Amino acid sequence: YQVFENVAEKYDVMNDSMSLGIHRVWKDILVHKMNPSPGTLLVDVAGGTGDIAFRFLNYVRSVRERQLQQKLRHHQNLSWQEISKSYQEEKSNPLGDSQVVVCDINKEMLKAGKQKAQHLGYSEGLSWVLGNAEELPFDDDKFDVYTIAFGIRNVTRIDLALQEAYRVLKPGGRFLCLEFSHVSNPLLSRLYDLYSFQVIPVLGEVIAGDWKSYQYLVESIRRFPPQEELKAMIEDAGFLKVDYQNLNSGIVAIHSGFKL
Amino acid sequence: MPSHSYTGQDGQESEDYESEEQLQHRILTAALEFVPEHGWTAEAIAEGAKTLGLSAAAAGMFHSDGSELILHFVSQCNSKLSDLLEEEQKQVQLGKAEKKPTNQFLRDAVEARLRMVIPYIEKWPQAVSILLLPHNIPSSLNLLTSMIDDIWHYAGDQSTDFNWYTRRAVLTGIYNTTELVMMQDTSPDFEDTWRFLENRVADAMNMSSAAQQVTLRARYPPVPTPVQIRQ
Repeated sequence: YQVFENVAEKYDVMNDSMSLGIHRVWKDILVHKMNPSPGTLLVDVAGGTGDIAFRFLNYVRSVRERQLQQKLRHHQNLSWQEISKSYQEEKSNPLGDSQVVVCDINKEMLKAGKQKAQHLGYSEGLSWVLGNAEELPFDDDKFDVYTIAFGIRNVTRIDLALQEAYRVLKPGGRFLCLEFSHVSNPLLSRLYDLYSFQVIPVLGEVIAGDWKSYQYLVESIRRFPPQEELKAMIEDAGFLKVDYQNLNSGIVAIHSGFKL
Repeated sequence: MPSHSYTGQDGQESEDYESEEQLQHRILTAALEFVPEHGWTAEAIAEGAKTLGLSAAAAGMFHSDGSELILHFVSQCNSKLSDLLEEEQKQVQLGKAEKKPTNQFLRDAVEARLRMVIPYIEKWPQAVSILLLPHNIPSSLNLLTSMIDDIWHYAGDQSTDFNWYTRRAVLTGIYNTTELVMMQDTSPDFEDTWRFLENRVADAMNMSSAAQQVTLRARYPPVPTPVQIRQ
């Protein structure tokens, strides 16, 4: 907990420097894989500063725009009334009722996220809730999609978090997890280790004035179960059609499962 | 009924494997209703999932280009065709109907099969192009050839002299070209298409008898008459 209190403010900067900005791409890929349709209800757990939430909102907004455009194109003989109604629809409901709830255990992270949202102009369809991944403050069968990006490795009881994820998802709902994972390629693995243990804590000291927290982060990554093992854990929680996709040869992996 | 498996994903070893696939089939069937409006897309699948009481997110189980939906549809149509032909055959066996001559049989079978596409005809060109994508070709080709083989099987053909491969090739050609014609046909009830089909089948039958003649001539060449040498 304390690690993240220290880290909260400089979280984004550290992410950029540690992953050389690639974390943005990973997060983009996650939302792209999700392919959310307007009207989707998303819960982003350990979502901290809102990266996934903002991408989700951008995505559904553009899908919604495209949908409305297509509708206009299909109906060639619209009256002026109908056309203006359609534009009004676009204005009044640009997200198509999509919503994202960002849930984090850490007040500071949520605060930082809210500030960032304000700064970037996100207001609609977004809410911030304090909560513990092992015991979510939500009802059963509530969400269409559950995401946890770079958060699950910090959960003490991963099995409990997975069970909670299963509980709060609607039938047909999807679980998506983006996390550091196991690199099988030996050459890449050595370079990666070198980078992780030599460079990252130094960056931590220089940028955030905190060597220890970043040492902890790197070690927690090493301790985290590899792809197949995580897949089995997800299946144990009841998810079906569980699969994973390696990004950058396994430095990061996206696991996906469905509640069927 | 032969099961057509066309998903590339390797199944997991859980007891629910069978019902997982069944559920996927149910979602795809439900999605067909939304194809005329949304096309062969993830949106149609999402709408289908919703009618079954599932979250739209379930559409994430499938490829985003709609491949599985199209293959599912084709597979369903092929099964329907088999059932139809099976029923017809039964009627003939029971003496309640006449056995059709081969050309009539082929025409009716192809027409019946193509008519199944009519409710989706506007979005069908899109489907055809997706089926031609490299990752779909093995499955779509498989479905096509088994359908063609099926038709020949029920045709119970004695009249043509084609061998098995030629039959396949000939009927596949007839089917594919007729399908293309149908997609651009604007005549009432596609009568131009059926006329095109009639002609192609007739051509094929003529080809067969022409082939027979060529074979006969090769076996029994006309005896050369002695040439009178003029001196």
